[in-house]
Amino acid sequence: MEFFERFAIPNPSLAIYASMVAIGLTVVAIIAGLTYFKKWGYLWREWLTTVDHKRIGIMYLLSALIMLFRGGVDAIMLRAQLAVPDNKLLDPQHYNEVFSTHGVIMVMFMAMPFIFAFMNYVVPLQIGARDVAFPRLNALSFWLFFFGAMLFNISFVIGGSPDAGWTSYFPLAGNDFSQHVGTNYYMIAIQISGIGSLMTGINMITTIMKMRAPGMTLMKMPMFTWSVLVTNLIIVTVFPVITVALAMGTMDRLFGTHFFATTNGGMDMLWANLFWVWGHPEVYILILPAFGIYSEIISTFAGRNLYGYKSMVASMVIISALSCMVWAHHFFTMGQGAVANSFFSITTMMIAVPTGVKIFNWLFTLWKGKIRFTVPMLYSLGFIPLFVIGGMTGVMLAMSAADYQYHNTMFLVAHFHNTIIPGVVFAMLAGLTYYWPKMFGFMLNERIGKWSFWTLTIGFCLAFFPMYITGLDGQARRMYTYSEATGYGPLNMVSFVGAGVMAISFALIVYNVYYSVRYSPRNIGADPWDARSLEWATHTPVPEYNFAVEPQVASSEGFWDAKKKGHALFPGKVEKIHMPNNSGVPFIMGAIFFVLGFSLVFSLWIPAILSLIGILACMALRSFEQDHGRYISVKEIEETETKLRGAK
Amino acid sequence: MKVDHSLPLEYGTKQNGLNIFGFWVFLAAEIMLFATLFTSYFTLEHRTGSGPSGTEIFEIAPVIIETLLLLTSSFTIGLGVHAMRLGRKKAMMTFFVITLLLGLGFLGFEIDEFITYIHDGATLQTSAFTAMLMTTLGTHGLHVTFGLFWGTAILLQVKKRGLTPETANKSFIFSLYWHFLDVVWIFIFSFIYLKGMM
Amino acid sequence: MSELFPRKQIIGFVFSLVLTAAALAVYFLKLSFAQGMVVLVVTAFVQALLQLVVFMHAGESEDKWVIYGKVFFMIAMALITVFGTLLIFLWDM
Repeated sequence: MEFFERFAIPNPSLAIYASMVAIGLTVVAIIAGLTYFKKWGYLWREWLTTVDHKRIGIMYLLSALIMLFRGGVDAIMLRAQLAVPDNKLLDPQHYNEVFSTHGVIMVMFMAMPFIFAFMNYVVPLQIGARDVAFPRLNALSFWLFFFGAMLFNISFVIGGSPDAGWTSYFPLAGNDFSQHVGTNYYMIAIQISGIGSLMTGINMITTIMKMRAPGMTLMKMPMFTWSVLVTNLIIVTVFPVITVALAMGTMDRLFGTHFFATTNGGMDMLWANLFWVWGHPEVYILILPAFGIYSEIISTFAGRNLYGYKSMVASMVIISALSCMVWAHHFFTMGQGAVANSFFSITTMMIAVPTGVKIFNWLFTLWKGKIRFTVPMLYSLGFIPLFVIGGMTGVMLAMSAADYQYHNTMFLVAHFHNTIIPGVVFAMLAGLTYYWPKMFGFMLNERIGKWSFWTLTIGFCLAFFPMYITGLDGQARRMYTYSEATGYGPLNMVSFVGAGVMAISFALIVYNVYYSVRYSPRNIGADPWDARSLEWATHTPVPEYNFAVEPQVASSEGFWDAKKKGHALFPGKVEKIHMPNNSGVPFIMGAIFFVLGFSLVFSLWIPAILSLIGILACMALRSFEQDHGRYISVKEIEETETKLRGAK
Repeated sequence: MKVDHSLPLEYGTKQNGLNIFGFWVFLAAEIMLFATLFTSYFTLEHRTGSGPSGTEIFEIAPVIIETLLLLTSSFTIGLGVHAMRLGRKKAMMTFFVITLLLGLGFLGFEIDEFITYIHDGATLQTSAFTAMLMTTLGTHGLHVTFGLFWGTAILLQVKKRGLTPETANKSFIFSLYWHFLDVVWIFIFSFIYLKGMM
Repeated sequence: MSELFPRKQIIGFVFSLVLTAAALAVYFLKLSFAQGMVVLVVTAFVQALLQLVVFMHAGESEDKWVIYGKVFFMIAMALITVFGTLLIFLWDM
């Protein structure tokens, strides 16, 4: 019995017990459903073992949506707790757990997989490739992310959630102040999914640098592909930093080292430093692909080619380099001198320049365009003014002297939500709507989509603009309550209402999916938006080999050239196509990583060592295995092509 | 598999080219990994708490031997790749075996060094400095250990299957990895040991 | 037999031994800290470059400039991380 006590929840509440029951019932329902409909084989053959970039993209997408709702429920709880002064809905410990998991889930397990979904699905299509450079590694990346996310999510029913914030600053995150295993989950789950992200970075850079269609020079790549290339450059640069930082944090918690302790020479500030060396570029990892998606959508629905292609590319490259030189602006108040603060202050403000260039380029793309106000376009148009507000408050925060006033207040919270929601979340929803027909063969309903856009935008403004005011008035972030005398009550109530409106918007998105599955027409063709780049040049649904004939392009808008200027996109003839084989090893390795992570969280050394051996065995198996893939014959390709052309 | 015979064997197929390119990207990430370790090391270098400082525990003799072993192994694996390009399977395998043995020797000295540290009262738990020192050295040492297993696996494959585009590709990538570990060691040697003893 | 020992690699190896010996001078000749650091920085980076060019064949494939670009970008980022952190914690704390 003593052995099992470690798995107990340190601060149980009715909500957690209810969640346990719900999780149990869901698992039983899924297993029963799969068994009843005899879908185990289908699931294993078509999804769990797949190495197809399109299916992996869709799995990322589903995971991201699920995590969006998990993180969203956290957000509602936070706003509900703060809605009125001296609220007793959540106790301080629960409040700490909820805001910590909200942050980690939204950044690591919602936004990251969301951008990976689009990267995986769109980039090979956009550059005319058959798959990514390392399909099996790609599957491994996904499963590491997935099991990392699962490990993080079970924390609230087994052992307790992390409660030291998504930044997990030491010494608070050390053993003395965070005694239960929550922070172990944080360290290890992020480590596992981070390794997956690093692999994706390597994979995508290789894919984009080496597998572009003939004719597609670097300066003829579609803008989304450019943004993904730059993003992955940042991923490869900074993910090793968080790997080391998390490893050191794990050693502090499990092996009693003193890296970030306050005794024996340890330096708690080093954690903050390393965390933000990764953490700041991380937010650019999220925003740059979003910029890429906006570029695609704005040029499609303005009916014009993207204004200032070269300056777009240059500004992204400059942003990527600058993003690695600004990290100290997250801790201006930590005690370093004026020289260091001034340096980081100036580099931070400099980022506004290339970002401004991009904003103007989008505006000039719209100028004199025939704008179609579709749902993806609405999100893109909503993004521009709202993101500018977020960016401007960022410049305010960048001034180190003034930051002493803003630091750790709701002003900061308003700022980063103001960049992340209109920046990243809008882009993800726009991209979801835009690429949905390519992924699933039918469109999402436009009318419901517009309703969810407007509710989301209005809800967003209601929820976050009041925080600028309460923040300047001194309301601290991460405080579970405030007294009535502070006068923060009414504005926090407005925020809560805004959060509710946003919740309605997400419910509408779910309803939209349901509605469109049932009622949307299926005969939409391959190019429902009258789009410009290569991903729309292949059939819908996309055959597993993507393009029967390798496309040949002459500009960044190969498909548009083919439609309007008579460019011959597919000059070759059909040849047999080499494809990689499916493999169960990535899934199994991911599962073993999960066991390893779980064992480490609870310091169960024997299963940890066994699973480490298992991982090495999987790698050895891969090394000795001879797998040359398979060929799709010309006959098979022609049959598929005829069938898909008929479906148009 | 289409094999392009105008290129060295390890570049022969399209996938081979991708593998080598991808591995370079991985090595770039490794630069950042070790840079982070060095960053932390330089920050914590003088934060010794009640434990010993670098000057007190570093010894020059084992460090010189370790450096020579690793430098030589980097040279021999270079010769191995050269032999592989000449198609001399046996010579290539001999050089690879020598490389791995030198690596094993390096590891032996490093383990001995760690035992001495612990004997001198510098353990993982003693101070931030000792923990950081052991983590940095240990990360490099783990890379070498992993490399020993990986190199052995590749040798077995070369032995069994001969020099094919696949095995040649793996051997070449392994040589990149090994040279990289040597580069990292040069920095450890210069900026941890020599700087610490200066 | 001699074809197994190309000149380029042997010269490279000898040169790397010379660089190592030069670095060791810091210890055996008891140089001052500033002088020593100059010697170490020079020998370490030259040595790294030597490995990169002579032994790792970084410049042989069609991706030559991408590989060099990638590696030097990363070295730049690594130096920014190291010196930025040192600025925060040691030189301006």
